[in-house]
Amino acid sequence: MEQLLASLGQNLFVLFGLLAVGAAGVMIFTKSAVHSVIGFLFSMLCVAGCFLALQAEFLGVAQLLVYAGGIVVLFLFVVMLVELTKYQEKGIFQTQAKFAVPLVGAGVLAFAGVFRGILFGPNAGQALVLKLGLEGATEHLGNAQAVSRGLFADFLLPFEILSVILLVALIGAIVLAKSERV
Amino acid sequence: MMPTLTQYLVISLLQIVVVLGFVMTLVPLLTFAERKVIAYVQVRLGATRVAGGLWGAQQGRLHQSRTVTGGLNGLMWFLGRVPVFSILRGLPMFIADALKLLTKEDIVPASADKAVFVLSPALALVAAFTVFAAISFAPGALFVFPKAVPFLGGLPFNGFLTDLNVGLLFILGIASVGVYGIVLGAWASNSKYPLLGGLRSAAQIVSYEVPLTLSLLVPVVLTGSLNFNEMSTRMATDVPANGMVAIGRTLIMFVGFFVYTTCGFAETNRTPFDLAEAETELVAGFHTEYTGMKFSFFFLAEYSSMITVSALASAFFLGGHHLLPFGIQGFVHLSGWWGGPHIIFFLFKIFTLLFVFLWVRATLPRYRYDQLMNVGWKFLIPYTLIMFVIAALLRYAA
Repeated sequence: MEQLLASLGQNLFVLFGLLAVGAAGVMIFTKSAVHSVIGFLFSMLCVAGCFLALQAEFLGVAQLLVYAGGIVVLFLFVVMLVELTKYQEKGIFQTQAKFAVPLVGAGVLAFAGVFRGILFGPNAGQALVLKLGLEGATEHLGNAQAVSRGLFADFLLPFEILSVILLVALIGAIVLAKSERV
Repeated sequence: MMPTLTQYLVISLLQIVVVLGFVMTLVPLLTFAERKVIAYVQVRLGATRVAGGLWGAQQGRLHQSRTVTGGLNGLMWFLGRVPVFSILRGLPMFIADALKLLTKEDIVPASADKAVFVLSPALALVAAFTVFAAISFAPGALFVFPKAVPFLGGLPFNGFLTDLNVGLLFILGIASVGVYGIVLGAWASNSKYPLLGGLRSAAQIVSYEVPLTLSLLVPVVLTGSLNFNEMSTRMATDVPANGMVAIGRTLIMFVGFFVYTTCGFAETNRTPFDLAEAETELVAGFHTEYTGMKFSFFFLAEYSSMITVSALASAFFLGGHHLLPFGIQGFVHLSGWWGGPHIIFFLFKIFTLLFVFLWVRATLPRYRYDQLMNVGWKFLIPYTLIMFVIAALLRYAA
């Protein structure tokens, strides 16, 4: 019993990962756009579960807050309010198929190699636990503290540059939306 | 001694059962209390007077000796007249309410999206209940299993489910998933009033999440932690060396309490922010098409998130597991039992705040939609930002 539970705890990552892949499959293959968003939501929740299983609590909860709590809500709003039936008839959602299939195939192969290494490689016996590699971050320092030290002390400049990139994307979106109306 | 993994899981399971049992008992009692409190405040006659069994409401007294039900009715009626037992008045309405919810026909509209229609109440309820995983009802062990108990003897039964390092973020993250229950339920009903109600409440919840989170940043900045237990204990008992800082800390906790509670009312869709259920405009809002147990799932979710909001407000602003609110416990030395943390203090604060929820519902009218958005974006967000800056200054000065 004890060993069974322990091995289950070690493999929670795989469990949540499989669930996430399943939900992502629902997201891609379902016909209705709202169902697709629900699949996306569950996939995001399972990814948060993956992070929690790796003892990266802060990342997991940030995933919950940012993706599940914020971004997917916006997706849902857009999908609910835009009338999709007429687009479905035009088949605009199926246009990317010829590029997508080889790309997805290549991606699957690449990830299969990584997963094979993790699951059956020399280190497969170890529990999947995130290793704190940042300078100054120790085991007993909390997760959130370690991440914030990385973001606001060690890597402050790259972090700020990233936020500028987001700003550029935001301005670009506004410009695109504006030109349509005029 | 350290519990083994199996023991740990068994204890966690017991804790989950206890916490969910507490919530599931509290919610029906809360609806009963809601009827009675509103009836007393607004001088409504029903809920403060209905006595007797389900079968003969008030005239039970006339038949008291003839039949069994008549006798029961008479007994209840008599008990309702005794001041101590007057709490029993209105009880038949409560029982009838519960029976009605359980026995009503479960209707799925013909043009509804069936899978989503079934999924969304579950999503709302799961999100509302999962939050309790990170709420701590008592900082330490509630009791230790006696040695006589097989398998678990000698192990502590904690007042919290998990002592998560990022407990507060976990609560906020899970609570923000609850909005999907409302939006998806509204969309899946495939009817215009639920859709309008759902969009309204989703916009409301998404906008009030901002000041809610910002107002909770004040305790985060003051304590420098995201752990529920550590935050609540340090907010209650920390004494800064500087006297001015201590006073400023108490004041900002006092203001922060009201700001947080206001946002909490909006997050739970309660009066005066219950635009989602504005009867005169939207029939019943997002759950118009829901009946029976599916409806009561939404109902349970709303009331258990009321409990969550009360628990957070009492933990971070009202002193949590300690007796005195607003960090006053740090200055006043209380001796013995009164000075320590106790689950009773925490529960008492939760119940008081739940009463405030009912009190407000009985007193205040509903906001208009533009007023609601004005209050959120033009007042609460700037206020919480100012509070955040003041809290950062206090942290810097301490």
